[in-house]
Amino acid sequence: MDKVERDAIQRVLTGDRDAYRVLMERHFHAVHRITFRITGDPEDAEEAAQEAFLRAYSKLASFRMDSTFSTWITRIAMNTALNLVERRNRDLSRHAPRIGEETSSAENVVQFADQSAGPERLLLDHEATTLRQAALAALTPMERTAFTLRHMEEMPIAEIATALNVTGNSAKQAVFRAVAKLRQALAPAAGGRL
Amino acid sequence: MKHFSEEELIAYQLDESSERDAIRRHLEECAPCEAMSDSIAETLRVFSAEPVPEVDLEYNWQRVRGHLTVLETKPRFGWLKAGWMWGAAGIVVAAVLVIALLQGVTVRHVFAPRPNYALNGHGPLTTQPVEPAVAGHLDAAERLLTEVNHASGPLDDTTRSQAHALLLKNAVYVSDAHTQGDVAEAAVLENLGRVLTTIDNEPEAVRRARSVKFSEEADAPEGVGFRLEMNTSGLLLEIRILRQNDDRKQ
Repeated sequence: MDKVERDAIQRVLTGDRDAYRVLMERHFHAVHRITFRITGDPEDAEEAAQEAFLRAYSKLASFRMDSTFSTWITRIAMNTALNLVERRNRDLSRHAPRIGEETSSAENVVQFADQSAGPERLLLDHEATTLRQAALAALTPMERTAFTLRHMEEMPIAEIATALNVTGNSAKQAVFRAVAKLRQALAPAAGGRL
Repeated sequence: MKHFSEEELIAYQLDESSERDAIRRHLEECAPCEAMSDSIAETLRVFSAEPVPEVDLEYNWQRVRGHLTVLETKPRFGWLKAGWMWGAAGIVVAAVLVIALLQGVTVRHVFAPRPNYALNGHGPLTTQPVEPAVAGHLDAAERLLTEVNHASGPLDDTTRSQAHALLLKNAVYVSDAHTQGDVAEAAVLENLGRVLTTIDNEPEAVRRARSVKFSEEADAPEGVGFRLEMNTSGLLLEIRILRQNDDRKQ
């Protein structure tokens, strides 16, 4: 950890809360990328990133200067985002709309998009995005996190495993399962080509 | 021909496989495995295209800052504020003091040297020597020497008999001091013995000198009386120091 960040932490710990901005300026975008990958939602990503920085602030006195603030805040952000996803999933399962033949806002019934359409249209229009998000949402939080960080952020498996507090093999298996599920989810849309 | 599993091909596409070369050679020859590998690659491509939306750092900072409380590191000795710690600390300090006192007494008793206080010592006089017999002897000698020192005429028989009795006892105490290795005490008592001997055997010339000291007889040997006075004065000081020594031994 460089001197600027070390000094900022020392100043925060001696009562200068504005010094925390130095750490946010340096790491907020990276943290937000991770929370976005995990949550898949822009608003949830910002909320999780803010909450991660608040958690880090409250635990700053316990932060050991021999590790990097980047690694530390990343781990906090991943856990925060995972918790948010699980919270959202619980809420969705409680208030999720039912799929039916006719749409009814009063009964919270919706129609599901026809996935038998061509993959070109699905992947290029709004429905393609919906399908992709649905496929990601079908993953467990662990699978989604491991997959997005490994594939989208190109984070090493070892670092992901450390952040998730699992073994390297468990993290790798989570990535593999995620890819297999995603491929299965896209197969109908691709007309069997995937 | 050995085919590779979906998991092995996913690992290959994610560059996590340890059989990378073998899989690549196999894919050149095996169409089904190649198709599955391409499908995995396409899946990864689809899910890698989503860009991350931009965020307003200033907005997020203001949101976070509104929830930041001013941090203050705990004082290093904050535990001192705990009342029970003061009680415990008091008990510990008292125990340490008692132990130190006991050890100090023991060490002093065993290892303390015996400096020559008779020559170097200074301090308040004391009337509480260690050995009562020696104390009584020194008290008697001091009173006698003070009386002789301030006598204006020849010594009376009572004084001379007291000096004689002290002289006899003094020989015993000198012997004891030598036996105990107390050189300073022995030296003072030996000086006391010499003065007592002088008083006990006060020659006629001295008696006359002491008597004429104030009557100003012309033929009086003034030097003898003056030396006795000087010896007595010096010995008084030594006796008082010796008694102080005894107090320190205690």
